[in-house]
Amino acid sequence: MSDAVLEVDGVVTRFGTQTIHNGVSFTLQRGQLVALIGGSGTGKSVLLREIVGLLRPSAGTVRLLGTDIWNASAAELSAVRRRFGMMFQDGALFSSLDVAHNVAVPLIEHTDLRGEVLWPLVQLRIGLAGLEPGSERKMPSELSGGMRKRAAIARALALEPEVIFLDEPTSGLDPITARAFDKLVRFLVDDLGVTIFLVTHDLDTLLTVVDRVIVLASGKVLADGPVREVMQTNDGWVQSYFSVRTMIGGGHETHGT
Amino acid sequence: MNPIRYSSEAPLATFVAEGAGATLRLAGDWRLPQVEHLSAALSALPRPARLVALDGGALTGFDTAGALALLRYLQQQAGTDLRSAVPRNFTQHHRRILDVVAGQLSRIKGFEQTRRPGVIEAIGRASAALWKLLAGHIQFFGYIAAGLATLVTRPQRLRVKELAAQLEQVGIRAIPVVVLVTFLIGLVFAYLLGVQAERYGANIFVVDGVAIGMSREFSPLLVAVIVAGRSGAAFTAQLGTMRLTEETDAIRVLGLSPMDVLVLPRLFAIVVALPLLVFVGDVVSNLGGMLMADRVLGLAPATYLDRLQVALRLKDVIVGLAKAPVFALFIAVIGIRMGMTVSSDTRSIGINTTSTVVQSIVSVILLDALFAVVFQKLGI
Repeated sequence: MSDAVLEVDGVVTRFGTQTIHNGVSFTLQRGQLVALIGGSGTGKSVLLREIVGLLRPSAGTVRLLGTDIWNASAAELSAVRRRFGMMFQDGALFSSLDVAHNVAVPLIEHTDLRGEVLWPLVQLRIGLAGLEPGSERKMPSELSGGMRKRAAIARALALEPEVIFLDEPTSGLDPITARAFDKLVRFLVDDLGVTIFLVTHDLDTLLTVVDRVIVLASGKVLADGPVREVMQTNDGWVQSYFSVRTMIGGGHETHGT
Repeated sequence: MNPIRYSSEAPLATFVAEGAGATLRLAGDWRLPQVEHLSAALSALPRPARLVALDGGALTGFDTAGALALLRYLQQQAGTDLRSAVPRNFTQHHRRILDVVAGQLSRIKGFEQTRRPGVIEAIGRASAALWKLLAGHIQFFGYIAAGLATLVTRPQRLRVKELAAQLEQVGIRAIPVVVLVTFLIGLVFAYLLGVQAERYGANIFVVDGVAIGMSREFSPLLVAVIVAGRSGAAFTAQLGTMRLTEETDAIRVLGLSPMDVLVLPRLFAIVVALPLLVFVGDVVSNLGGMLMADRVLGLAPATYLDRLQVALRLKDVIVGLAKAPVFALFIAVIGIRMGMTVSSDTRSIGINTTSTVVQSIVSVILLDALFAVVFQKLGI
């Protein structure tokens, strides 16, 4: 089994006359926590949608868990969809179902588990995502932003995925909740062996928990490597991006509180 | 000792005697797809005298679902935990998963399914909810009355632009559908009456039936139902979306009053537009009736109009038109309030919009029945 979980090769995206990606390539190794960054409008979320099979790129290939997403049969695609999870920006929880049923949806749809096996699993997922007991019965509208994201993580975890994609996991969260969420993400990688690919704007996430950073700029991968290396890239955008941090804390790192 | 096979591979769980106690040896794939087999294999094991160790050396796969099955077995059937039954030979990764799941074990209980309320309880809850809804409507009507009172003292606060926009939306844009529906109903009504009247040679009385029936009863009712479906639902959806996107809060913060900007223009628009639309319906349904009378009953349009002068009293038209503003008031109060009480999720917009349509139509029909009784008693 190859250790490359995701291979993105020469992806080109055009919307009308506008070219968003002009040959984006990178690979993702098993057990890594990788972040994709880039300025607004560089197509980070678009790339994520192309990887998970929601939006077809104009050219290029995406191999996710060994399957060529855009040339796969419906059956192959459905098989690979059970092996990865996705958390959307605001959770995208089903608003008519409570948290427990939201988490149970993938299990009910893709397995034949009986209730006495299924519900303990659902509770385990909710616990692993760090929601306190009693959240199971809550409706999505009763949850705070941070809890909604945790419930979405629990749903993404339902089928024991090998990879989880996160779209801006800490956006809209207060710093304390955001750092706790970073720790949760790190825990999923370290203790459960999940590979995680996330799109973020959050410098603290990058500096404290991420193994590797991919910078997207003018349609290409501008830099790719550990945060310390990427910070040294001689590029205006990268320099000003990381300098915000240096201005405030002199580059000082805040390890998990 | 107790091999339980579910595949050609090694048994998933076996006991191995070891001194005074026993070791539970795990083998094969302990992952989510196998979890039903795992639970079955574990519960089929005999109750061990004393479990002292777990051997994970032969595991080919292990995830949180497998760990949960194992730990729940230890807790419930073997009556032990990881402190007494020591895990051995687990890979570092498997051991971590085991520890993580063990940390969550205390919160996992059986899942009590939602209790379905009994019939009596359901009726009781529904009645209470209905009463709460009605009380809310009455209260909201009070707010509107207060808003109207302020407007009377300071008429310059009337938002003419919003009112005009709403009048166009509620009134003018509803004309095509009102024309279509009332024309067809007038046509059908004339035909049904004509078939009966013809037997007695009383063709001419079809005019009485269409004119009085439509303007007194059917035109107000039909038009009110159309407006409830068109504008009542639109009010709820528009205001509900504005609440969700915090636009109504923005209006407040900017020092404007949602009552002036959102509620009253809609209320006025519908109260003014509905009688006008009913009048359109009165006219058009008679055109429908006239067409049918001409084609099927041999009643020339001139004859029809002649009879119309005699048959239709002004009173009948006014009775029909007078009902319309009352219908409109109810539709407006229901539609606006249901929009303003949308809760914080998108789903409730759909629920409230549906509810608006149902409530409006039911209340229009109830009001119509009430009017019929009152007019009867008053001899109008």
